This record gives sequence, structure tokens and C-alpha cells, in this order.
Amino acid sequence: MKTYWHQHPETIDRLAAEYALGTLHGGARLRFEALQKTRPDIHRAVWAWHEHLQGMLVAEKPMAVAPGQWDQLENRLFGPAPVPKSAAKRGWLRWFGPIPAGSLALGLLLGTVIMPVWESLHGSAVQTQLPESYVGVLATADNKPGLIISSLRKGMTLDIKQLVAVPVAADQTLYLWTIDKDGKVQGIGPVPSGKFTSAALPQEAEKLFFTAVELAVSVEPKQSQPKQPGGAFVYRGLCGKLWKLPGT
Amino acid sequence: MVSNEEVETLMARVDLGDRHAFKQLHSLVAGQLTAVAMRVLNDRSAAEDVVQDVFVGLWNKASSQAAPVLKSLGWLCVVTRNRALDVVRKRPAEVPLQWKDADGEEKSHDVASDNPGIFEQLQSEQDNRQLQNCMQQLEPAPRKALWLAYCEGLTHVQLAARLQCPLGTIKAWTRRSLMQLKTCMEMPA
Repeated sequence: MKTYWHQHPETIDRLAAEYALGTLHGGARLRFEALQKTRPDIHRAVWAWHEHLQGMLVAEKPMAVAPGQWDQLENRLFGPAPVPKSAAKRGWLRWFGPIPAGSLALGLLLGTVIMPVWESLHGSAVQTQLPESYVGVLATADNKPGLIISSLRKGMTLDIKQLVAVPVAADQTLYLWTIDKDGKVQGIGPVPSGKFTSAALPQEAEKLFFTAVELAVSVEPKQSQPKQPGGAFVYRGLCGKLWKLPGT
Repeated sequence: MVSNEEVETLMARVDLGDRHAFKQLHSLVAGQLTAVAMRVLNDRSAAEDVVQDVFVGLWNKASSQAAPVLKSLGWLCVVTRNRALDVVRKRPAEVPLQWKDADGEEKSHDVASDNPGIFEQLQSEQDNRQLQNCMQQLEPAPRKALWLAYCEGLTHVQLAARLQCPLGTIKAWTRRSLMQLKTCMEMPA
């Protein structure tokens, strides 16, 4: 009865040795490789040889790994590495640290839904009796509508409706900020606490709010004129322009 | 010195999808694997690519499923070395092992390495003491042939050119050396 080489353990072992060493070439190598896929005994024989020989590889002195190798691997497998939170919060976003992301969503919802609805109900300023105004609907840190701010477009007064109060110490005050599209924060001035209040603006609203995409409120010491917020915002939301813009 | 136990533990965690362990493993063995690939490829960039491929395969469990042995540092080295050899086999031989320069002088790539020899390295590894002992029992020339074949991936023909020996002699050396090595390695320590 005819037998084949791969039925002889000695031959398998000899070829496994040559295969593992790397000196089995050409068609013989390919045939042996193909057989390994269906013959676990041949596969094991090859790895038994590697177990004998691998000490030579393990004995290699490690090389210094080039910088960025892990980053490349991570990027290849998992996509771009997440930027550390502190770095990701560029511009004005860093002031929103303690405020849940949902609050921003609420602000966006209020700003993007209420405003168009308002416009659809009343039409644009060109068609309605409502004056051209700036309106901000700001959410609290726990994701509730907290503050509505409005001013006539050319007005010098800010009207404030406080839906949810936040704690403000006797020596502190709420302080209004604008945030432009680049995230630059600009202080406007103190805002009184109370259900319905108003405050004088230092300049015409158009000059203060025209470039603003967001309005935010922090708590600052009374009588101060901070260049940057001294803490997290307690209210924040979109700044809407309640009039028909050119091309809209 | 990389602890094999540490590698095995990390590999087991990587099998479970632990990304932190995966990063630790990379930090621990990437240098070793780069050296293994570099020995075969003699090209830093290609060696780094090979190591990346090994880690990608490891994470995707592409290579680990084909492991009939415990996944250790040695296993990783073998996988890396085999992948590096695949790269070598696919690329055309660009530089001959020996050539004549413009003055007709014979040149050879077989120059002494600045790195410590394999036996000096083996001596420094406790786990490799048995392999070192067995390798020392081989004649110097066959021993060198074995090492060049396994670590640098040289073929019989390349070994013959490198060691300035007939092809038949090289084949006989490797075959005999492998069997001697096996017999020695399988003897109780």
C-alpha cells in the first residue's frame, strides 16, 4: 500500500524543522504550509521547533521604540486618540466644565426651536409688530430652562426673566458674558437676581451682542470687572437675533 | 529584562479585549519585537511596520487563534520573525550579498556586527541557558548557519554565499544541527 511523506512522523518532523528554521523553500514550503491548515499535528510539529529555537529571538537586545509608534497603532486600530479633556475644552468650552452636556443640547433646542417657532407665529420683524431684539434662552447646570434675556436690537436695556434661581452670596453677583463663534469670551456686566429684572447695558445691544453666538452667566464678586469668568457658568444658552437676516 | 510571566498575563488580558493591557504589552515588548524584525529586514521602517502588523493581528486575534502553544514572549518573537520573513520573501533581492566595487575589489555584507554575539546574549538569559548549552555543542560553522537562518532568515543559497561553503554542505549542516539541537533540548535539564 502506497504511503505519503506526510504519513511519516519522522519526515514531518524533519520538514517541520526546516520550515521553522526558514530553509524550506519554493513549492515544498507552500505544500507544507497548506498542509498545516488541515493537519494540527503538522502545525504542532512546527511550533515545537519554534519552541526549541525561539530563545535565539528572545535573546535579541531590545531596540528603542521610535516615538509615536503606539499612537500610530492606536490610531490604526481604534481611530484617533481622544484628546485629553483639558485640551479639548478650548476657548469658551472650558468654562462649561461642570455643566452637563445635555444643558448645551437644551440651549440649542430652545435657541433653534423656539426662535423659528416664534418667527413662524409672528413672522419676521419686517412683517410683525415685535421689535427687532436679541433673545437668549439660557439653561441651568441641571439642564432646566433658567434665564431668558432680551434686549431691543438698538436698545440700552437688558430685560431678564429668571426662571430658576441660583445661589448667589451677598458679596457676589451674576455676571453676563457673550461668546463669539471663535469661543472668545467677552464680559458684559452684572445681572441682578430676581424673577423680573432689568439692567442697563454699557453700550447699544447691537454692539455688544451682534457677534455673540452664546450668552452665559457666571457668579463673580460684586464691583468686579473680570476679564475671564472666575468659575463655571451657572446659565448658558444660544443668543438669538429676532429679526429677518439678509438672505434668510 | 522582560518577564515572561508578565507578558503571558498581559496577553491573556489582551485576549479579553483589555486595551490598557494591550498598551502595557506594547510598551513592554515593542522594542524586543522591533529588534527581531530588524534582524531579518535590516530596515528600521519596515521592521516597525511588521511590529505594527503583529500587534494589529494580536488585537484582532488573527494570529493568536493559530497558536498551539502558550502565548509568551517567545511566541510573539516567532510571530514577528515569521511576518518579517514573509516581507522579505515578497520583496525582490535588491542588494547582493557579495559584489565587486568599481576597483574590482570583492565586497561582502557579512561584516562583524557591533552587537553582542548571540552566545553572549544567550548567556545573559536564564531561560535560554538550555538553548545556549545545546548550541554550544554544535560546531561553530553549523551553529552560525543555524543562527543566521533562524534570526536573519537566510536561505540555503544565501547561507552558502555568506559562509563561503558549498550548498550541499550548508544543507547538511542545518539538517544535522537541527536534529542535534532537538535531541539536546529534549534531554532533561
